[in-house]
Amino acid sequence: MKVLKITPERCTGCLRCEIACSYMQVGAFQPAKSVIRVSPFEGHTSYAPYTCTQCAEGWCMTACPVGAITINAAGAKDVLDDRCVGCKLCTIACPYGTVFYDPSTRKAFKCNLCGGDPACAHACPTAAIEYEDVPTADWLHDFARERASHVLATNGGGR
Amino acid sequence: MARRHLIIGGGTAGMNAMRTIREEEREPSEITLVSAEKPYSRMVLPYYLDRSIAESHVFTASAALLAQWKVKAHLGRRVTALDVKTNVCTLDDGTKVEYDDCLIATGSAPVRAPVPGADGRNVHSFWTLDECRGVIASIAPGSHVVMVGAGFISFTILNSILALGAKLTIVEVAPRILPRMVDAAGAEVVESWLEAHGVAIRTDVKVTKIEDAKGKKRLKFAAGADLVCDVVIMATGIKTNLDWLKGAGVQIDRGVVVDDHLRSNVPNVYAAGDVAEGRDLVSGQPALHAIEPTAQEHGRVVGANMAGKDVAYKGSLIVNIVEVCHLDAASFGAWDDAKAEAVSGLKRDRAAYRKLLFSGDRLTGAIIIGRSGDVWTTNDVGMLKGLVQTGVSLGRFKDHLKAHPFDVKTAYIASGTTGALLPETVLGRPSKAPGETPVAV
Ligand SMILES: Cc1cc2nc3c(=O)[nH]c(=O)nc-3n(C[C@H](O)[C@H](O)[C@H](O)COP(=O)(O)OP(=O)(O)OC[C@H]3O[C@@H](n4cnc5c(N)ncnc54)[C@H](O)[C@@H]3O)c2cc1C
Ligand code: SF4
Repeated sequence: MKVLKITPERCTGCLRCEIACSYMQVGAFQPAKSVIRVSPFEGHTSYAPYTCTQCAEGWCMTACPVGAITINAAGAKDVLDDRCVGCKLCTIACPYGTVFYDPSTRKAFKCNLCGGDPACAHACPTAAIEYEDVPTADWLHDFARERASHVLATNGGGR
Repeated sequence: MARRHLIIGGGTAGMNAMRTIREEEREPSEITLVSAEKPYSRMVLPYYLDRSIAESHVFTASAALLAQWKVKAHLGRRVTALDVKTNVCTLDDGTKVEYDDCLIATGSAPVRAPVPGADGRNVHSFWTLDECRGVIASIAPGSHVVMVGAGFISFTILNSILALGAKLTIVEVAPRILPRMVDAAGAEVVESWLEAHGVAIRTDVKVTKIEDAKGKKRLKFAAGADLVCDVVIMATGIKTNLDWLKGAGVQIDRGVVVDDHLRSNVPNVYAAGDVAEGRDLVSGQPALHAIEPTAQEHGRVVGANMAGKDVAYKGSLIVNIVEVCHLDAASFGAWDDAKAEAVSGLKRDRAAYRKLLFSGDRLTGAIIIGRSGDVWTTNDVGMLKGLVQTGVSLGRFKDHLKAHPFDVKTAYIASGTTGALLPETVLGRPSKAPGETPVAV
């Protein structure tokens, strides 16, 4: 299965992925509606995008009481809007923090890999996000661990 | 001869078990379902209450689906006795069903405060579809509804009652709201939010009597003024539906005591969901969780084991989330462990509250409250669940979280939580989509 491969070292924090994602998902240039989210590290000297891994368990899918989350042709867990009642159980069941809730539609929303043609990967000018047939992985761990020393030192957390 | 599975209770746990049997089995088996009600999801009832969904939306299995799964269903029937020596169960119409293995998944029932008038006209519980229909029929725009009990279930229907145009008063015997879901500081945030949104709340009051008063209802209290209203909803607790099983030889403590395969002391009798006293993931101790995710996971593990797999279950994590008037309140794991090392953060102007509980450098529980429109609320809800579920070692990031309980993401990512989670599955294989279940032939 093709997945979103993230190379955080290449991310410049331009947020084009968030803009493209929200436009694809809800037709608006509105990062709050994006399901890929760029986080700053090291006091805004580096950035990394974070999104759903399409994990094997599919905690959101198995938690949904009405079967509103399914697997689409791209292999992504996808919310069926006309089934979703907005109970939020998926948002709390997802241990990755990548299922969101839209108060204006009262539905859950999440990355569905744009059905197999992810807008974020197209939009990223530095190939920090690529859509490839590789095993999914924890793309950000090492990057984040190295780049959090500033956070730890300045915020009184370091030892 | 094909193996004969008996499923008692067609709610969340029973449905998940039947589906998983059909997903996992190598050889066709017989499934018999006995359920007092048609299969539906109780936790979806609040959305039917305010008619944001049609009644049909609450059902989790149609007759056609049960036929496709080759389930022999006795719907509207109760099991009244189980003979674990002869492997026969008896239904309320006298029918006997033989089985090779059986699942007890009869869920819970509401309990009303034992006061005179508690069973009177226009006094309702809200647990079953029938009760939901009763409440729908009794509320009109402008009705004054009094909810007795400020627990989780009251809060799941609060938005719907307001959406119906009713006026709402909540009365609670404890000194504060949500006593089994958030701590006192969190309860205060939710309480003032609700009061600002027009919900009247009276805590520390004991209902002593409910009377009829010229077409209305009058509630009397041990102290304080009476309340007159149109409709009373009692959400004063639940109990397991296990009376029928007493004396059958299946060990019951708070619920049916089960091992890590969800087996009772009788090896071919399993229990799942609200009635099963299984392992709590965080404490490792036996616990009764009346929540949907536990019923789902229990049901799937039982289904796999009934189908001949050998699936051990790690334990269930307490997770609760409820939204009231666009404020989210959620709690996880050992959020109420008074002995744990804890840190909390409050941003009163944003109605945002966090509490994080640690054992060593691992997160064992959390409370999170915040406006549902705040992007970071949903983000962090999931991440806190991941931290508690994996129990990853936070190392230096523990101090960071303690200094900055609102900055969860950095600690989450830098601790490698994602990597710890990726290999995790409940059944030891990727999950199938809800509609994907193959049919045994
Ligand atoms: C209004 C409401 C809101 C809720 N919201 C949430 C929520 O937001 N999050 C959450 O995690 N949980 C929530 N819950 C709790 C959740 O619904 C339950 O934990 C879950 O349904 C338990 O599943 P179960 O399979 O154990 O039991 P149930 O789903 O209760 O199923 C039990 C089945 O057994 C049948 N039965 C009972 N006795 C017998 C008998 N003797 N013979 C045959 N059949 C019998 C019943 O008719 C029923 O069909 C909510 C519950 C309610 C009522
Ligand atoms: S919010 Fe929607 S998709 Fe998520 S669990 Fe509830 S019904 Fe299912």
